Amino acid sequence: MEELKRSISELLLSEKIEGKISEITPLTGGASAETYKFKVTNKKKVSLMVLRKGSGATSPLAISKKDEAIIQNEVFQQGAPVAEIIAISKENSLLKDAYIMKLVEGESIARKVLRDKRFSEARKNLAFECGQALAKIHSVSLDAFSKVPRNDPKELLDNLYLTYKQFKQPLPVFEYTFRWLREQEFIEIEPSLVHGDFRLGNIIVNEKGLAAVIDWELVNIGNPIQDLGWMCVNSWRFGNDEKVVGGFGDLKDLIKGYSSISDLHINESEIKKWQVFGSLRWGVICLIQTFSHLNGPSNSVERAAIGRRVSETEIDMINLMYLGGK
Amino acid sequence: MIFDRPTAYELLDSVSIFLEEKIKNELPKHLGFNVQIAINVINIVKREIREGNEINESSKKIILEMLNDQETTEALAEAIKEGQIDLENKDLQKALLEITKMKLSVDNPNYSSYKNLVD
Repeated sequence: MEELKRSISELLLSEKIEGKISEITPLTGGASAETYKFKVTNKKKVSLMVLRKGSGATSPLAISKKDEAIIQNEVFQQGAPVAEIIAISKENSLLKDAYIMKLVEGESIARKVLRDKRFSEARKNLAFECGQALAKIHSVSLDAFSKVPRNDPKELLDNLYLTYKQFKQPLPVFEYTFRWLREQEFIEIEPSLVHGDFRLGNIIVNEKGLAAVIDWELVNIGNPIQDLGWMCVNSWRFGNDEKVVGGFGDLKDLIKGYSSISDLHINESEIKKWQVFGSLRWGVICLIQTFSHLNGPSNSVERAAIGRRVSETEIDMINLMYLGGK
Repeated sequence: MIFDRPTAYELLDSVSIFLEEKIKNELPKHLGFNVQIAINVINIVKREIREGNEINESSKKIILEMLNDQETTEALAEAIKEGQIDLENKDLQKALLEITKMKLSVDNPNYSSYKNLVD
């Protein structure tokens, strides 16, 4: 912890922020990041901040933490709800790939957002607000993002297929879905910044509603409908499957929120294709995590268990493709 | 069977009940979360011990009916990939559904989409 404290101080000093660092507490940070909350006390004030740093275990789909910070900064300027970036690591920093942002108070644990009484008011308008936030993210100018991976639907599918293939675990339903998606005609839309993992768990919600969009490691440039489809994937409904948007909202409210910001015409059948793509992508991510446990240096019961969630994604794909499911 | 009781199933059952009743709530939150995952894993293995053989046999039979001369999921995956079967083929759709339902009956019979299909 002392070493971490020193690294945090160094990073803050690079932005001329002085103060005593205390109460460093780990938060859950996603598969390829470590996240800590901490307090900075100086003569002027007490501030709560968050450090996010690479964990060493990089996912093939993830971008660096530094790039995450640069993107968050741009999105912040655009007026989307994200945490304000305070400092980003440099080449010679103690922390190689990390950044510090302001702490946004609220809840990110999906089951709490869905079930706790204190969020009952927030839930009513959340689908609309998620639509608005996505539209703002999608409206960010792409000039600053030369390093962000850029893919059209066909390239996304090809990359996903290569990732799936490397695990040498042939899955008939995955093969069926890859073929099904290749036969779809995706409406061409001007590429935009895509968050890539916009769902419950990666948004902070307070009593008033959506407070911040977090976890930007899967960001990419591509078809914006990808984010809307991903938000509707059944895996993030936590059993509330009649509520298509994250287990709390209706698709029409998500679209309404989106359309209040963007003039892009949103077609529901287009969202559905991206929802199928989303289930397939989540299935491949499950494989990535499983095999990082099987082939990696450390044991993780969580990653081992995720291998048996592949069948959940398979039933969702089947449901959407030919059982008329939502 | 040369092994004495408890059976493999019964042994795992005792471990999962022990974790559930004596350990899970005694630990700090993040470890309690991992213990819950461990309990889920044990329950998967319990179901697989009980149903696994029968499911494997049923699945082979379904694939053999589809492909005529092969019975593995690898062969079915390959046949779909190579376009040997039409995606609209009702038997193929039914075969994939049945196999996936059987997998979920072991992996997670509480999963909402699965429950909606079997109820």
